[in-house]
Amino acid sequence: MPPGLDQLKHIVVLMMENRSFDHMLGSLKAVNSAIDGYIDSDPFTNPDTNKNPVKPQALAEFQGQLNPDPDHHFPAVDVQIYGGQTGSGRVANMQGFVTSYFHQRGDVDHSQKIMYYFKQSDLPVLTTLALQFAVFNRWFASIPGPTICNRAFAHYGTSFGRVDMDPFDVIEPIKSIYTRLVTATPKHSAKVYYYDTSSSTMEVANLLQHQTEVFGMYSQFLSDCDKGLLPDYSFVEPNYSDHDTDEGEAVASDQHPDHDVQAGEQLVAEVYTHIKNGPEWASTALLVVYDEHGGIFDHVVPPACKPDRFPCSQVDPGTGQPFKFDRLGVRVPAILISPWIPKGTVVNRVFDHASVPATISKFFLGGSPDVSSREANADVFIEPNNGQGNLANNLLSLDVMRNDCPSFRIRK
Amino acid sequence: MDVIDVPRPKSVRDPNRPVSSLLLAQVKHLREAEKSLPPQYHSGIFSHAIQTESEAARYIQSVTEAIHAAHDDASAARVRRVPKRKRGIEIAAVADHAAERKAKKKSRSKKKGSPSKHKK
Repeated sequence: MPPGLDQLKHIVVLMMENRSFDHMLGSLKAVNSAIDGYIDSDPFTNPDTNKNPVKPQALAEFQGQLNPDPDHHFPAVDVQIYGGQTGSGRVANMQGFVTSYFHQRGDVDHSQKIMYYFKQSDLPVLTTLALQFAVFNRWFASIPGPTICNRAFAHYGTSFGRVDMDPFDVIEPIKSIYTRLVTATPKHSAKVYYYDTSSSTMEVANLLQHQTEVFGMYSQFLSDCDKGLLPDYSFVEPNYSDHDTDEGEAVASDQHPDHDVQAGEQLVAEVYTHIKNGPEWASTALLVVYDEHGGIFDHVVPPACKPDRFPCSQVDPGTGQPFKFDRLGVRVPAILISPWIPKGTVVNRVFDHASVPATISKFFLGGSPDVSSREANADVFIEPNNGQGNLANNLLSLDVMRNDCPSFRIRK
Repeated sequence: MDVIDVPRPKSVRDPNRPVSSLLLAQVKHLREAEKSLPPQYHSGIFSHAIQTESEAARYIQSVTEAIHAAHDDASAARVRRVPKRKRGIEIAAVADHAAERKAKKKSRSKKKGSPSKHKK
């Protein structure tokens, strides 16, 4: 068994908000052509409402540019993916981002900003981690829709038929990944760490209401990293708002437009640094992933997938036709970090957020009996170490742990 | 590898930023959760009037803490109920002692050789 898998005891998932792959990591194609991003000579454009082609440009700003928040609800994402085509014979073409954003302000110049992406030097944390560890070329949101239903896939492997932001009911026998872990024999440990009680969690309706014991705060997460007390599985939520705290002022770190992207860079660096400098670095893998694209452009067509077992709760989710959970959402940044991963790893297999509970279940429990069909068909980003894994797909493949992993100095 | 500098954000903190659809959805979920809490845990905040991030954060904090408090109080009440069970055990123990005393008395009377008297 590869020593990285043998030693792995803790998996941490940090889920950020609303940025697409091309917007955050597209610039890396110029550095490593295996990364499926964007370079200036690529032909990809989007038409604006005057029918002029709009090229992606490296002009993204940390804050103040994507205001109003680009629409990323189900009908708008449908426009973005299909370019406004309707009807049964339509083909996904990723041609509707500018048109969709134009609908919000009616301003042609402003609508073109949805095609802006960050230069590599703008995002020293995310781009360094992507180049130094494993970056996923094909990690997609689970649904072409908004936050809550996409995050549900990371917790349950399904959204139970929801494509919107409304509260959903957990339908038995499916259980959250946390319940599966803490009720297993032998018992495993799991925590959702939210930033503080003013930011709280996005999984209120089921987890917070019924299982307060699985929650901790971000300060505790940092302390658990430092003291070697991480649970088997940790899910970290960023700060979702600017607000006052007992200690002073908190700045939103989720990177949701129009929150400052640099504050999110600091959060990612802090999570990474505390794991790396803690006693469990050798036995921990960190996945940094975004819940959905937030209405921002990406050039890769989301693939079809096997439908989920739950029918869509809305007969028409706003697109004029039914949805069977048979297509993934827009591509998002995803990076797997461990000192056992070779530098410059690029993963081309298809993943979505159902891969999170699928991976955790298979790694810690050897699988779960009752899962959604989407989870059952989701690929895993860490192979189980029980002899049932496909070692050809193992990303923690080094025989010797790296000692050249990057370090960050966070300017507070 | 060199240490990489992570710049301090230049952002202007703005707690009065209009609340996003994401935070409004979170508020809506918490409003539903708050309905199921006993009245003494209610926030007293009119969540439909929330317009800024800081207002949303105040409500989110209030209900999140109330949910934790309600669960903690329920757990504490569960613990407080344990002595009742203990009393049940004591009663059982008393019963056992009574049976023991009865058995001893019986054996004493057998030794004295007066079973009829014992019957009285």
